Amino acid sequence: MIEIETFIREMQDNIPDLQVINNPEHLSNYAIDGLLPRLVVKPRNAQEVSGVVALANQRGLTTLARGGGSRMHLGSIPESLDILIETGKLTRLLEHEAPDLTCQVEAGISLAELQSQLGTKGQWLPLDAPDPAQATVGGILASNASGPKRLRYGTARDLVIGLQVVQANGEIARSGGRVVKNVAGYDLNKLYIGSLGTLGVIVEANFKLQPIPANERTLLLTFSNSQDAMQTVISILGSQLTPSALELIDAGAANDMSDFFGLNLPTNGYTLALDFEGSLTIIERQIDEARLIARTNGALLGDDLAGNEQEQFWNVVREHLDGSVTCKAAILVSQIALYLQKLAEICQRHDLESAVIAHAGNGILYIELRPGDATTRLVEAIAELRKSAREARGSLVVERCPVDLKRRLNVWGEPGANFRLMQRLKNQFDPKGTFVKGRFVGGL
Amino acid sequence: MSITELPLAVAAPLFERLSEQKKAEVVRDLSILLGARYVLSSPYDLMLYEYDASIDRSKPDIVVLPSTTEEVAEIVKIAARYDIPVVPRGAGTGLSGGAVPIYGGIVIVFARMNRILEVDYENLRAVVQPGLVNLHLSNALNSTGFYYVPDPSSQRSCTIGGNVGENAGGPHTLIYGVTTNHVLGLEIVTADGEILQVGDWTPDVPGYDLTGLIVGSEGTLCIVTKIIVKMVHLPEAVKTLVAIFDSLDDASNTVSEIISSGVIPSAIEMMDQMILQAVEADSQAGYPLDAAAVLLMESEGMAEGVREQVEAIVRVCEQHRARSVRIAANEEERQRFWAGRKNAFGAVGRICPEFYVQDGVVPRTRLPQVLRRISEICASYGLRVGNVFHAGDGNLHPLILFDSQIPGEIERVRQAGHEILQVCADAGGTITGEHGVGLEKQEEMALIFSETDLRVMQQVREAWNPRQLLNPGKLFPQPGRCAEVKQL
Repeated sequence: MIEIETFIREMQDNIPDLQVINNPEHLSNYAIDGLLPRLVVKPRNAQEVSGVVALANQRGLTTLARGGGSRMHLGSIPESLDILIETGKLTRLLEHEAPDLTCQVEAGISLAELQSQLGTKGQWLPLDAPDPAQATVGGILASNASGPKRLRYGTARDLVIGLQVVQANGEIARSGGRVVKNVAGYDLNKLYIGSLGTLGVIVEANFKLQPIPANERTLLLTFSNSQDAMQTVISILGSQLTPSALELIDAGAANDMSDFFGLNLPTNGYTLALDFEGSLTIIERQIDEARLIARTNGALLGDDLAGNEQEQFWNVVREHLDGSVTCKAAILVSQIALYLQKLAEICQRHDLESAVIAHAGNGILYIELRPGDATTRLVEAIAELRKSAREARGSLVVERCPVDLKRRLNVWGEPGANFRLMQRLKNQFDPKGTFVKGRFVGGL
Repeated sequence: MSITELPLAVAAPLFERLSEQKKAEVVRDLSILLGARYVLSSPYDLMLYEYDASIDRSKPDIVVLPSTTEEVAEIVKIAARYDIPVVPRGAGTGLSGGAVPIYGGIVIVFARMNRILEVDYENLRAVVQPGLVNLHLSNALNSTGFYYVPDPSSQRSCTIGGNVGENAGGPHTLIYGVTTNHVLGLEIVTADGEILQVGDWTPDVPGYDLTGLIVGSEGTLCIVTKIIVKMVHLPEAVKTLVAIFDSLDDASNTVSEIISSGVIPSAIEMMDQMILQAVEADSQAGYPLDAAAVLLMESEGMAEGVREQVEAIVRVCEQHRARSVRIAANEEERQRFWAGRKNAFGAVGRICPEFYVQDGVVPRTRLPQVLRRISEICASYGLRVGNVFHAGDGNLHPLILFDSQIPGEIERVRQAGHEILQVCADAGGTITGEHGVGLEKQEEMALIFSETDLRVMQQVREAWNPRQLLNPGKLFPQPGRCAEVKQL
């Protein structure tokens, strides 16, 4: 391995005026699980990213891309970290082919900025990931972030039509293309999405877009227990109704929302929020029918939200839970009620508190556990929660937790038998380990 | 449609043809495994399996019909032991040669693995075997109000396993997406003969999205033996419209304006004059013979939404000088409209013995220019062409008519096809929207992907199927065959 100063000189010879941060004070802002990168670079375009990665690869240094930094808490503790590549200067919307409902964008643009530019032509990228002002397109794709509206619009895998990705040797490779339907070659877009930067650095993306819906309204329902709430969800999913989101909020989460965001949700029982979009006629019919279904399942009351109130509500819900320990469980929709019961039992047994916000229509639960410093109890409780998730044909990932907890448990869970296939891919794509190892599933 | 043997490869083949002696040994081993009934090896039995719905053909040495995943795994192990290729095959309706065993070897036919294993109405999931016919799944779900969305035109015969291999589409994928958007998990047999599960009933499985990578990999990475799919509620209302245009440009512009205005119907299909005449001669769907183009459109969902959408569509059609717009009055008329479209390929068979269908995609706004270029290209080769395609997502299907008895005609067809794909690539599009690359478009991959792009893709095959035991010689430009294309 070479001296970092030599590397910086070499890099700046190749890429004039490349912004580099290497003083320890500034670097501390970029720590990942307590680990400081040896330097941070801020390339201005894909070619510069390519140059940095190519040189790191030749010199045997490790790199990791960072967008807005809002999801750096994901994953296990990295093995090493030489160069952090911040993509925040790659912010151009390269093309917005509005009549085709597609766009091509650099990876460092924030989601909010992209939406605001697309919005000038009445369109949006239907991906409502958390923290849009901070989160970048590249970070969202690398971490496969999504939001409540995935129920209607799907996730990144359903919206990306093409990617440009810097490979481990610095070459830039394209996958997919600019058109909405394309089966030419392997669908590498799917492979890169959610791979947490272990296979390449995403520098550009092409998306399918949607027109911004004419209207939106949210129906809030309250249930005294999770069985009734989930029976309502299952009935709605099996009906003609097409809600954009079906969000289940438990008492713990409702409490937090009331305390910190001034939302007035009932703090016992469960709140079910149903988001509807489209023409007013359709929204009204759906709200009516949803109320009817809810009533047969014992819903207590049903307000609806519109305008600013609605916007604020979803902003808060979307941020889901940002306590020090949060888990994401993906399980069968039909098992959610039972799972919530098990969660209560497990928490009681280990003297923990919990708060849950769930994409109930997709079977995805964000679970916050408290207190975050009860390391031993948390390790045990998480193991039990993971076992229950597996029994519900699902998985549990610890998305956020203190470093000492990361040392005590596997945030991803043990990889399955197909892990060999993943390892072989990683070895092909990144034989020298140019992209930081240790963070992703099985240490990839 | 299958008309010609593949030209001889210039480079050394990946696999030698089997000797009679080796073949006898393999047949013996396979017969012990499966029972002699399910191992076919006589020339007569094999003939059926030497082609699909594309131009290319090549005979397998052995055809096997396993009934379980374990048998598939054992077949792969036997093939590995003898170093002979394995090609999975659904119903053979593929249009790019994906199931054609160019180096011979073993073809696995999934006709006996055609069951629906599980249906879960609460979680809206079904688990099926790869040999299940696409339409049979929807038929099984319809009575309870659900269906499986992807509906390739061959859905009466094509299999879900084949759909997964090609990432098949269909007319109704405009709002709901193609096969990959409806598949959550798979059971697979690797090139080592190992049985693994990828993906699951639930989304966001930790690790790489192996399911997404395998869908559309054309049998070149692993063999799929089980498929977990999503079920969708049948719409309460469906309206079908036919708009008739005196100019192709007006029809094309209507398509792109409907989409860009934010109205996304469930299907927008276009047929040009040549196709209309063929269709009318065949099935009397009621299309005028003198029209330049017809748009067949469908709106589905909640009744109120359908009403609003139909009004919007009619408005756009009229703004673009549609001669008339007709809304199907009842299910019978709706079926007649669709019969014209779904039987279009067959109808063309009445006016010409053979045709070659392309599958390029262009941005919807480029349809008018690209359709003009297609006519010009075909005219310059003295070939007739008709267009019947998924206009809503810019997925072209030019049908080039020809007669293989005319010397040199096939080569002119291939060359015209190549030029059309060049036009699609230049317009910012792609060479295949739903048929796959297979054998047919290997060279054309270079029209849209750089050497680096292709090398990166090949890393995946290198990782999982390094000896190319599974479906060899597909998908990527072949070093040996480049030379031939240049000779054309």
